[in-house]
Amino acid sequence: MLALDLLVNGLIIGLFYALMAVGLAMIFGVLKVVNFAHGEFYMVGAYAYVLISLKLGVSPWIALPAAAAAGAAIGWLVERTLMRPLYSGYASWSIMKDEYAVVVTFGLSLLLINLVDKIVGPYPIRGPELIETTRFSIGPIMLNGQKLIAAGISLALLTGLALFIKRSLWGRQIQAVAQNRLGASLAGIDATRTTSMIFAIAGLLAALSGALLAPVINPSPDVGAFPAIKSYVIVVLGGMGSIWGAMIAALLLGVFEAFFAVYVSYAYRDAFGLMLLILVLIFRPQGLFGEKGREV
Amino acid sequence: MSTPRNLWVNRLRTDFRAALGLLAVLACVPFFVSSPYSLGIVIVSMYFAMLAMGWNLLAGFTGQFSLAPAAFAMLGAYTTGLLDYHWQAPLAIGLPAAVLGTALVGWALGRLILRLRGPYLALTTLSFAEIARVVISNSHEFTRGDQGLNVPTLMQSRVGYYYLFLAVLALMLVGLYLLMRSKVGRFWLAIRDDSIGAETRGIDVVRYKTLAFGLSCAICGFAGALYGTFSQLVSPELGLLLQTGLVISMVVIGGIGTLTGPILGALLVYLSSEWLREIGGIQLIVFSALVIIFARFFRTGLWGLMTHWRPRPKSAADAAKESA
Amino acid sequence: MSLLMTKNLSKHFGGVSAVDDVSFAVEEGQILGLIGPNGSGKTTVLNMLSGFLQPDAGEVVFAEENVTRLTTVELARRGLLRMFQMTRVFERISTLDNMLVAGMAMGLTEKETGERAQVLIEELAMTHVQYLDAGQLSGGQRKLLEFGMCFIKPPRIALLDEPFAAVHPVMREAMANFIRRRHAMGQTFLLVSHDMPIVVELCQRSVCMNAGKVIAVGPTRSVLESTPVIEAYLGSSSHV
Repeated sequence: MLALDLLVNGLIIGLFYALMAVGLAMIFGVLKVVNFAHGEFYMVGAYAYVLISLKLGVSPWIALPAAAAAGAAIGWLVERTLMRPLYSGYASWSIMKDEYAVVVTFGLSLLLINLVDKIVGPYPIRGPELIETTRFSIGPIMLNGQKLIAAGISLALLTGLALFIKRSLWGRQIQAVAQNRLGASLAGIDATRTTSMIFAIAGLLAALSGALLAPVINPSPDVGAFPAIKSYVIVVLGGMGSIWGAMIAALLLGVFEAFFAVYVSYAYRDAFGLMLLILVLIFRPQGLFGEKGREV
Repeated sequence: MSTPRNLWVNRLRTDFRAALGLLAVLACVPFFVSSPYSLGIVIVSMYFAMLAMGWNLLAGFTGQFSLAPAAFAMLGAYTTGLLDYHWQAPLAIGLPAAVLGTALVGWALGRLILRLRGPYLALTTLSFAEIARVVISNSHEFTRGDQGLNVPTLMQSRVGYYYLFLAVLALMLVGLYLLMRSKVGRFWLAIRDDSIGAETRGIDVVRYKTLAFGLSCAICGFAGALYGTFSQLVSPELGLLLQTGLVISMVVIGGIGTLTGPILGALLVYLSSEWLREIGGIQLIVFSALVIIFARFFRTGLWGLMTHWRPRPKSAADAAKESA
Repeated sequence: MSLLMTKNLSKHFGGVSAVDDVSFAVEEGQILGLIGPNGSGKTTVLNMLSGFLQPDAGEVVFAEENVTRLTTVELARRGLLRMFQMTRVFERISTLDNMLVAGMAMGLTEKETGERAQVLIEELAMTHVQYLDAGQLSGGQRKLLEFGMCFIKPPRIALLDEPFAAVHPVMREAMANFIRRRHAMGQTFLLVSHDMPIVVELCQRSVCMNAGKVIAVGPTRSVLESTPVIEAYLGSSSHV
């Protein structure tokens, strides 16, 4: 039955969207800025995975965590060099901190895309799959082996992240800083280090998402643009800064898009999400689960 | 600085004169450069200068960082192109229609997203831009999709086009100067610096914000339409996010919130990109790196550096000492 | 007829009654104090008076006109101006330009605004910083600038929200003098403040709020000495 197939595949896509969107939601939660270079964390992960496994001749199962580490490293580096002005009293952009973030992350996105384009080349690259089998079916549903494994890993990661945030000490520090930066630091939490951690985690998740999908998508330097836009829609839908909202919205979007593409229009399935973003921001800016406050 | 030099009318006047100087230099170029290819490059950079001025009006003067300038250039170009393609409308109708159309859409968009700021504004305008581009790309019967449309040209002479673009740019500059000098410009600055404070002081923020949107989009729309007649082809590529990224880079590098900055930035970035392209295609790497560096360390851009406006503010005590 | 009147003003947030059936009046030429402990609803009342918040019930009457549903801008046009607790100035233009904008926003011509601005800047002793970007002024200077912007075209009533909060004593005196001088010229004020000595000094009459309700109205001294007010500030075990 088509609908069931669409549902399952939509959920699987949703899981990948969630990996990226959750990191974006965390960044927004703690710094109140949108990271326009998030798609490039995804791209870096995809390229790291492919290059490490091909050039170093290493098993894909080792290249995967390596790509994740690369993502974490780049996330941490971006925070350290570019994001400090947002909260350490940098006077120059003082009244326009949000705009600084827009410009700087936009520029970073361009920089990363073109660096990779120059260093590796503009043509799509092929990466090794994690397992050999490709297509098989469970009942009426057609599945792709790589996607299934990737979805499984994503699910495990997302669950792990949720537990981490809720239960662990660091996770609770993240929650504290996201809610009230000043209060958290008064309570003895190192807000700066927490922010670095958040960026590293966000980078890690996005990179992993890119690495998991690399065998399916054959990345090229601008491969991150498409998932990035999905992430923006998801974060807005779920409520800016809400991790749960992002996860649920990601799954919803995956499913909705799958049905929209088949029953309404394939070409406009991306535009559908974007339209949703505009409508949400105008009429219900807190999304499904977020807090109000879209004005500075 | 605590000298009368810092007074808005004086700052603006210096700014205006420098910009006029730049245009005067541009006016002399065809006397030394005759290759149509080179002239064409400068014409394209003037196109970008117009987009930069349009975006700067909205972002630099009014504080609304929209991510849709390229999309409006595309909309303006397509207005003219479609009027010609479907109804054989002459450019005398097509060009003004582009201005009016984009002004209206821009005004409406501004009205819709009035209360949004920062990342929310950026995301909404980005979505609008992408939707516009996707719709145009996919409406094959109406717009010929990615193939683009052919647009008639205003004249055959490249030198003629050069001076046309220059004249339009000059008109835009003078118009913006007069606006920024008047109360409209001051209200925009106030809205940029504190829109709630502006409301409290009695400024009709709704009216002036939507005016800025409409005007900025009209400038971009007209630039796009004009460029369409020059290149004789309009395609959805005009509205790519990459183009917006270029425009933003030009304004940030040149000096945001000034008259000279956007023009300076557009000329420098586009002209040197041609030069860098020959070296080895690293132009985008260089410019995106420059944008990051300028945003991080030199908010006032090149023009700001040239006029010694420091990004790091001095204290009032220093200023008192200085003017004593 | 009073210049500004509130009648049964109410506002709820969630289940909490921030402002509950508040009624008081400000006479022309008066400085009325609005006092009360933290969280008593004073700022919420001010926000409703100046168009930043819509009341859930009740009305606001200004110069015999029902202005309850008007926006901040419409109120400003009618001569109702407010100042904020956290100073709001336009940081990236000069002090003088700030004043010019304020004047033009009130409908004055550039020339007129320029003249009045010069007079005010001298009165506020800010001539030496008039060309400095407002963002570079000290906290006290910014407050004075906000005063200047508010009075470049004297409003019919000025709502001041904790103007003396966290202000240096010398600056406080300058601001109090400014208020006194204007009052002597007939300016009407509604002053929300914690600073008791200043309230006693400047406000002949006061309204005291607690937990969203009005608990005392009258000459400032008697309000401050009344039992409900003392209890509100110090807790009910404090009265002798």
